[in-house]
Amino acid sequence: MSFLSVRDVVTAYGKIEALRGVSLEVAEGAITCLLGPNGAGKTTLMLTLAGILRPRRGSIRFAGEDIAGRAPHAIVARGVALVPENRLVFPAMTVAENLQAGAYQRRDKNTVARDIERMFARFPRLKERAAQQAGTLSGGEQQMLAVARALMSRPKLLLMDEPSLGLAPLVVEEIFRIVTELHRDGVTIFLVEQNAHMALKVAQHFYLMEQGKVTFSGDPGSLAEDEVIRRAYLGSAKS
Amino acid sequence: MLVDFIQNTLDGLSTGAAYALLALGFTLIFGVLRRANLSFGPAIMFGAYCATWTHVNFGAGLLLLALITVGGAVLAGAYVERLCFAPHRGGSAIAAMVASFALWMQFEEFATLVLPRHLYAFPMLHEGDPIALGPFTLRADALVMLGAALAACALVWGTLYRTRFGLAVRALIEQPAAAALAGINVPWVFARVFALASALGGVAGYLVIATHGQITPMLGMWATMKGLLAMMLGGLGSLPGAVLGGLALGFIEAHSQWYLGPQMRDLIAYLLLFVLLAARVPWMTTRSAS
Repeated sequence: MSFLSVRDVVTAYGKIEALRGVSLEVAEGAITCLLGPNGAGKTTLMLTLAGILRPRRGSIRFAGEDIAGRAPHAIVARGVALVPENRLVFPAMTVAENLQAGAYQRRDKNTVARDIERMFARFPRLKERAAQQAGTLSGGEQQMLAVARALMSRPKLLLMDEPSLGLAPLVVEEIFRIVTELHRDGVTIFLVEQNAHMALKVAQHFYLMEQGKVTFSGDPGSLAEDEVIRRAYLGSAKS
Repeated sequence: MLVDFIQNTLDGLSTGAAYALLALGFTLIFGVLRRANLSFGPAIMFGAYCATWTHVNFGAGLLLLALITVGGAVLAGAYVERLCFAPHRGGSAIAAMVASFALWMQFEEFATLVLPRHLYAFPMLHEGDPIALGPFTLRADALVMLGAALAACALVWGTLYRTRFGLAVRALIEQPAAAALAGINVPWVFARVFALASALGGVAGYLVIATHGQITPMLGMWATMKGLLAMMLGGLGSLPGAVLGGLALGFIEAHSQWYLGPQMRDLIAYLLLFVLLAARVPWMTTRSAS
């Protein structure tokens, strides 16, 4: 039984179906990657998994439980956390308060405090800026903060929506280094990326999504990389 | 001259304290739900009318009347939240506001049905003479009003910055989508913010009718106007701004009334708002509360 199982999910904005029957699986402990051109529906899928959007049809099962259509806070309670596109840190709160917010559902104050220390150890630049307002951080620092905030809920499945978006190449490398570290520590990661090249370097399995459907499933190397990149950025030509 | 100025300032600050509470209530709802609640004032009036009804039919002590006012306002606020704001949460803001306007009418009609007279006496906080302090006169109830309002503001600040609930409220104000993703139970927080805002309004409403010694059905309209005006003067969506806007409004009204007479008092306040909005002063534009 796979960790996360998505079957024929349809999500629509009014009359427009952004997800037209998406099916995929995420294996426990692996890094699974979702690639595809803009507008393919990748973010819509992430928001559906996180409970921000309700699917019209289809099923989403996580660790044996049905989570489709549940409220976002209920999904976090079941161990799924999303690092959203564009980070969405709480700008007027300090870095430390952002981390506290990520641990909102946890009542064990002492372990939360220790987890914050562990986040600071993993992300030293956040520690330097612990009392600074999150809105004043650089893009890369905000991305790290968004990841750390999601990790504060101790998720079993971490969803990441375009973590490299808008970041300089060196920062992107750092982000992917963190992704690899998290994987090594046993966190299951489902990663949406535009940066196909970097994503394929870390993923164990990947999916291609185009126009609301999954069009390819395989491991890195099963499709020639330039073919993957072409379809990830441009989509496949309709013949 | 200076004595008059200081006296007016003191008077203005104590009415301003009530305005600050009204503005805080409005701003909490606006900042968190991103909707204007047009039934905020009427819910306060409902609470005040519950207290008046109790006083007229049974008589009651000051503290009990205060509690009934606040309790009634919170109850009415919950009614508004369930009917107008919860159903339209992901949908139209206009629908929610129009619905709250309809409930405003409902509250007023209900109030005049139960207590038909245009004006009712209400037990005053302090019946005696004002306190003389040098050249100044201080009304004891105005001091109570100022003190209660300051205490309420301190309570709100403490809640927002020292409690888990406050963290959730600030998260919702600053970044609503991320707040849900952080595991915050958004509908639950919305309902409690409504209750807090209604309670603040109830305190303000009680203080006002207990210092004036009377209540009319216009209380709802009055609270709405003053609250909105103070909120906008202080910068839409800012909580410290709401407090400052309330105090500023009290200050402006007291001095306008002194130098220009009571007719000009409201005119000056609205004129100032118009000028500030027209000049697009930076602090007036919507921003997240800090």
